[in-house]
Amino acid sequence: MAADLVFYGFALLTVLAGCFVVFSRNVVHAGFALMFTLLGVAGLYAMLGADFLAVTQTVVYIGGILILVLFAVMMTRVPSQNAPRRGLDRMVPAGIFAVAIFALLYKVATGTSWPTATPGEALPTAKLIGVKLMTDAIFPFEFASLVLLVAMIGAAILIRERKVLPAEAPAEEAATEAPADEPEVTA
Amino acid sequence: MLNVETLNLPNWADARAFVPELVMFGAFLAALLGDIIAKRRPWVPFAIVLFGAVTALSYAVAGLDIQAPAKILGDMVVVDGMSSFFRMLFALTAVVTVLFSWKSEEIMGPGREHKGEFYALIALMTGGMMVMAESTDLIMLYLSMELVSLTSYVMAGWMRGSLRSTEASLKYMIFGAMSSGIMLFGLSLIFGLTGSMTFEGIRAALSAGTVDPLALLTVTVLVLAGLGYKIAMVPFHFWAPDVYEGSPTPVAAFFSVGPKAAGFALMIRFFYTTLQPVVDQFDWPLMIAVLSVITMTVGNLSAVRQTNVKRILAYSSIAHVGYLLMAFLMLTEQGLQAILFYLFVYTLMNLGAFLFVTAVNNSLKSEHLADYAGLGFRSPWASVMMMIFLFSLTGVPPFAGFIGKFYLFAEVMRREWYWLAIVGVLNSVVSLYYYMKIARALYFDKAPEGAGAVPVPALQIFAMALLAVPTLLLGVMWGPLKGVADRAVAVIAGL
Repeated sequence: MAADLVFYGFALLTVLAGCFVVFSRNVVHAGFALMFTLLGVAGLYAMLGADFLAVTQTVVYIGGILILVLFAVMMTRVPSQNAPRRGLDRMVPAGIFAVAIFALLYKVATGTSWPTATPGEALPTAKLIGVKLMTDAIFPFEFASLVLLVAMIGAAILIRERKVLPAEAPAEEAATEAPADEPEVTA
Repeated sequence: MLNVETLNLPNWADARAFVPELVMFGAFLAALLGDIIAKRRPWVPFAIVLFGAVTALSYAVAGLDIQAPAKILGDMVVVDGMSSFFRMLFALTAVVTVLFSWKSEEIMGPGREHKGEFYALIALMTGGMMVMAESTDLIMLYLSMELVSLTSYVMAGWMRGSLRSTEASLKYMIFGAMSSGIMLFGLSLIFGLTGSMTFEGIRAALSAGTVDPLALLTVTVLVLAGLGYKIAMVPFHFWAPDVYEGSPTPVAAFFSVGPKAAGFALMIRFFYTTLQPVVDQFDWPLMIAVLSVITMTVGNLSAVRQTNVKRILAYSSIAHVGYLLMAFLMLTEQGLQAILFYLFVYTLMNLGAFLFVTAVNNSLKSEHLADYAGLGFRSPWASVMMMIFLFSLTGVPPFAGFIGKFYLFAEVMRREWYWLAIVGVLNSVVSLYYYMKIARALYFDKAPEGAGAVPVPALQIFAMALLAVPTLLLGVMWGPLKGVADRAVAVIAGL
């Protein structure tokens, strides 16, 4: 079947690129490999009739987040001698653990009767998603904005350049040098 | 065309049932704005958040006599007895933490940054924890956990100049991302197995009995990875000691009770509503019993070797998760009542013990046991209250901790898991050793020559008394709180 062939193609792309992400010693290569993983997942979405999700995955993850990840990696790259060592003492237990987990999940996946539904005609989903987001799922939708807000605030707080005394300085010194509670930020 | 009349939209009645959360989120936004408008006046956000928390607390207490569960906001969250109980707990935690942070050097000392945002984030996290306790949908389960987690990562790294604080934040985040990932995988399998996102739908599908026991056990373990991380259950506890040690002490105090109780609330809500009909069809009781034993033993044995008081308390709080899990193994009503009662008592005493560390840290600048020598005479009031908390944590009568532990053990005995009860008692004996190590330092070790008094501000004494007095009272008059916990479990949604 052609559809099966396409599915296995996307699945293989996802898994192989995923393995490359994990095993590559070069962070930039891993970042680029991530692009193919995300692309494969987008393909799987499209095959399932989730057109909007597939497009969003491509635009947001590949077009946005991945580029940011690559920028971050390139700007903060550490010298390669700091790369974590990979001795057999770690690879063997990790490998055994991974194989055991895979065996378990395989047994679960094959030993269970998954409830399935025959898909009908693939229709555009964007309108349905939009209506759902504004009705049934409006609370999670609004709640997610709080999650994003705290992520932004957190990034600003943790990353912004320090304008005041080091926090570890003894309090007595700090008290004499900084009479004001919070020195004005000179932006 | 869409017909507005038939749409499931949030309405005014939903908002009225959701007041404490709205107040906390409103306080968060107002405190952020207030901090921008009133520069250099951190008391503005402080006052806003304190007012918000007190308002939420009074609404939560008023909502305790709720008669029937109400599903609100598109059936995403539910307001019932249990959510009212946890709203009260979280609002109380927020009030005490906010009061205490005001005089804490690590947050408000000279040269510290972002004083206003600190209070704003406390408000946000409290609201997030409340939603955690009321979620009835997999989406809300995940989103509320992420909100609390993200806020926690930021607050753990609050002291930016400090390497320990940065390390705490990073460790917390890496562990958190890992366990959320595992949990999400489990949730996706649950959806695959049952075809439902709501807890009630999952329960109905599981009751039909078509789900393979091995698959059920696997997804349960996967979901437990995420929830177990939030409550610091072994083997997902590795972050806890480092995060508590590195975070500012008021934040560590908040972490050790707030998100942990919220994690338990979500665990109760999720597992009780979904697994209760099938609990004896797979190895759930044995799994929880083993996890409980490992958690309390690892916690207690590790605490014995510590010399940093914050780390002792971190391991002790892991041990307490083990005790709490004991009552979770059969998912019975009595077990949940015991857990709710103990969580309340645990919040009082553990928050109190951490607050003592904060209070003396202001002038002592140390958290090491050796530096606590003779503190009983250098700051008498705070030390007396610390002794109350320590005795209560050990679980000796006539303190509240004893009553709490009594109910937990009673549940284990009722279900005839005698070996588990014996292990629990042995663990309590071990815990006596390290709690009394702190007590010995306070009262029996000699203070170094020339060591002066360690003053504790009146506001902090007041906040500690808010916890110490109930710890004493609940030890002799536990009936009212037990009644509240019983009612909270009686009016639980989705059954």
